[in-house]
Amino acid sequence: MTQATPVTKKKPVSKTTPKPMQNLEITDHQATVGKCFADNAKMTMRNVNVFYDDKQAIHDVSIDIAKNEVIAMIGPSGCGKSTFLRSLNRMNDTVDICRVEGQICMDGEDLYSPKLDVVELRARVGMVFQKPNPFPKSIYENVAYGPKIHGLADTRVDLDEIVENSLRKASLWEEVKERLHQAGTGLSGGQQQRLCIARAIAVSPEVILMDEPCSALDPIATARIEELIEELSQNFTIAIVTHSMQQAARVSHRTAYFHLGRLIEVNPTEQVFTMPEHQLTEAYITGRFG
Amino acid sequence: MSKMSFENHIMKQFDEELEEVRTRLMEMGGKVEQQLQNAVRAVTEADSALAELVIKEEKYVDEMEVDIDEACILIIARRQPAASDLRLVMMVTKAVNDLERIGDEAKKIANHAVMLAGESTSSQGYTEVRHMGKSVINMLNNALDAFARFDVEAAMRTIEEDKQIDLEYKTALRELATYMMEDPRSITRVINILWVVRSLERIGDHAKNLCEQIVFVVKGKDIRHQK
Amino acid sequence: MTKKPMTDSSNHLDKIKKSLSRRNRAEKRFRWYGRMAVFVGLAAVMVLFTDIISKGHGAFRITYVELQVTYDQDMIGVENLTDPAQLALGDWEALSKAALRNEFGDVSGRRDKRKLYGLISSGAGYDLKDRLLANPLLLGETENVWILADDDIDTYYKSWLDGEPYAARMSAKQIQWIDELHAQGKIRLQFNSNLFTRGDSREPEQAGIRGAVMGSLLVLILTLMLSFPIGVSAAIYLEEFAPRNRWTDFIEVNINNLAAVPSIIFGLLGLAIFINFFHVPRSVPIVGGLVLTLMTLPTIIITSRAAIKSVPPSIREAAMGMGASKSQVVLHHVLPLSLPGMLTGAIIGMAQALGESAPLLMIGMVAFIVDIPAGFSDPATVLPVQIFLWADSPERAFIEKTSAAIMVLLSFLIVMNTVAVWLRKRLERRW
Repeated sequence: MTQATPVTKKKPVSKTTPKPMQNLEITDHQATVGKCFADNAKMTMRNVNVFYDDKQAIHDVSIDIAKNEVIAMIGPSGCGKSTFLRSLNRMNDTVDICRVEGQICMDGEDLYSPKLDVVELRARVGMVFQKPNPFPKSIYENVAYGPKIHGLADTRVDLDEIVENSLRKASLWEEVKERLHQAGTGLSGGQQQRLCIARAIAVSPEVILMDEPCSALDPIATARIEELIEELSQNFTIAIVTHSMQQAARVSHRTAYFHLGRLIEVNPTEQVFTMPEHQLTEAYITGRFG
Repeated sequence: MSKMSFENHIMKQFDEELEEVRTRLMEMGGKVEQQLQNAVRAVTEADSALAELVIKEEKYVDEMEVDIDEACILIIARRQPAASDLRLVMMVTKAVNDLERIGDEAKKIANHAVMLAGESTSSQGYTEVRHMGKSVINMLNNALDAFARFDVEAAMRTIEEDKQIDLEYKTALRELATYMMEDPRSITRVINILWVVRSLERIGDHAKNLCEQIVFVVKGKDIRHQK
Repeated sequence: MTKKPMTDSSNHLDKIKKSLSRRNRAEKRFRWYGRMAVFVGLAAVMVLFTDIISKGHGAFRITYVELQVTYDQDMIGVENLTDPAQLALGDWEALSKAALRNEFGDVSGRRDKRKLYGLISSGAGYDLKDRLLANPLLLGETENVWILADDDIDTYYKSWLDGEPYAARMSAKQIQWIDELHAQGKIRLQFNSNLFTRGDSREPEQAGIRGAVMGSLLVLILTLMLSFPIGVSAAIYLEEFAPRNRWTDFIEVNINNLAAVPSIIFGLLGLAIFINFFHVPRSVPIVGGLVLTLMTLPTIIITSRAAIKSVPPSIREAAMGMGASKSQVVLHHVLPLSLPGMLTGAIIGMAQALGESAPLLMIGMVAFIVDIPAGFSDPATVLPVQIFLWADSPERAFIEKTSAAIMVLLSFLIVMNTVAVWLRKRLERRW
């Protein structure tokens, strides 16, 4: 790019000193910015603290999850988003040293009250895990397990119907209808994960929790599941934890950013990814630290 | 958030790519500014050689636009920028467009300068050109300055300057109309000056666009097309 | 990032190449060590097997003598063949003695006659009685019967056929009679069915392992029925339900230690508690089963726990996430998946129990039991103990019988362990 005349270059004066990372620290009791609460909340969490022995994993988180919304939880590794997700269906109960304080309610009911039956809770709040984990049984048996133990089907015909509906809703029916009695573990990774989703929705839960459901899958399988999430959100409330910001941007209606166990910002997804309110969110989303 | 930093990405390559694009944009701004200054001088001093130079150099401005646009596409494809980075890249693609238009207008002014230099040496109307040219060059300078520093206040002030330029434009039109009515022989010449003045007014508009882009990047608000 | 000059990288490669030959040699050495270890192990096993088989194979055939038997009613002294009292009093030996006298008509004198009667087994008469009872029409008839020879004759005959006659317990006349019989083809080796159909006996030619095998079977069945459910339940509780505190750690340490306790201690325990305190009769499969249960329980608990631990936590999480209760998770998911491991452990435990003799000796299964045990409360002995008893006996014929019984025991153990391995391989694949 040769130039005949000397160009008065506009020297960019903004060679500002890079913002030192220390500024991005959190002071205590920093309030969450954004729209944390919703009118038609399906699940409400107030002042939730989660401890593993003396280590505190979640600090004072308050947030609502609205009915039929897809809310994504993002944040760097170890920020507590998985821990938070698992406290929504009391899977943390299986860990002895874990202690949950604060109030977590669904439809106004306190989920941690001693009167609540955990087994019933988990029929209403289903979970899909990071690595697909179908039972080593047939595809039919996998999907039928939940309805069977919760007594949702009276006859074999009812059960067949539930299985077919669930597999259809999970976009898996066409692929497996000829081999319902073959082992579930013989499917590909993406199919297995859809099977796990079918299994979860077979008991007609109200809320589905997904803990990094696509992290073990290839891009095409991931895309199919993201499509599925979009369809499912019409009937279910979905909370999804994800490491991929692009995935959060693609599938969710609201995004919550967690950092070191604190909820920093909750806002509509479009806003979070074009103009986040909090500088920590901005720093994470633009890849200034992960 | 008045001071913006586009550095400190974990991927240093990303930092470098953004820096590269910003530098090139500044270079293009500088080049365009110089083209404008030369074009106005070519008119007011009847310097056809200078005008020819401006016309010749215009292609470099076009090249710069293509290069910078390409660089932006690559950044979007490779880095999937989000939030402030995304706004920056989108803004650069638009700013580059405005700068290229300014370059075009400068070339048009230079074309008219050539035609005016060939005519009789009457200094009628040149005052308006000089006056308005100075205002516009000043406004462009301010805009590019605010751009370099991402200074929202400076950008907002510069946007106001456009009103001033619009007023001057209307005044100039009246003056030139009077000249044409006084002396019908001067119509051809005055019409050329009319085109120059019009180009200057357009340049003012484009400079205003640049300032609106700055506000968008820094504040996230799109203030285009507002009164 | 400056590029390294070419010379550095070729130097680098040279260093690697130099170390390569040394490493290859070390690799080869390591492999040879492994091969040697395997070879030594196999060699030891081969030596053992060769020794046992060479000593024991002879026991599977035994000497029979063909004689002409007349079922003389008067000689027997029985009128009614269906009256057990009369049958018990009948003089059945007379039949076989008469047959011998018939064969060697020129024998006279009490000493010689005693030697003659010593040619055949003392129980031959009862064999003839069985033949008569099986076919009552034989009464009064004559037929040629192959009669079981005495153990000394059997030992001599086999050794004579092998070329190294062992005549220590034979008189010259007996040797001569055997030569005559052999010349006429009236003496031969047959398959020793007595070994498998009869219980223990003082007479080697009549001794069999059936009693011991039945005893072992009864004891094993009882052991399996007790130790498997108890062991599996304990493992499930300890692994899935028990809280993790000092008590459960204590229990775990103790179970692991119990597995290493010498088995004879369990015999002492059985003696003290089951026999002396609970007054369970001695020498019956019940107490044998109880003692062996105690012995195999730690093994089964440990292997079952390992099998349960190997079920991946993702399955448990998935089941719990579905809303399964703790016991449903265990029964529907953990147990079916860990069952192969548990079965393998159980089979290996049973194989160990099969070969145990020390604890059973303590509780009295060392008695000389002749009758075949039919139920759990009949006196019995087990195969390893039977081997131990026979090994003690002076008769030469018992040497090969001992080895034969060892071969039978070893083949049971090999079969059981093979089944365990096959089972594990087969069920592992599905997972």
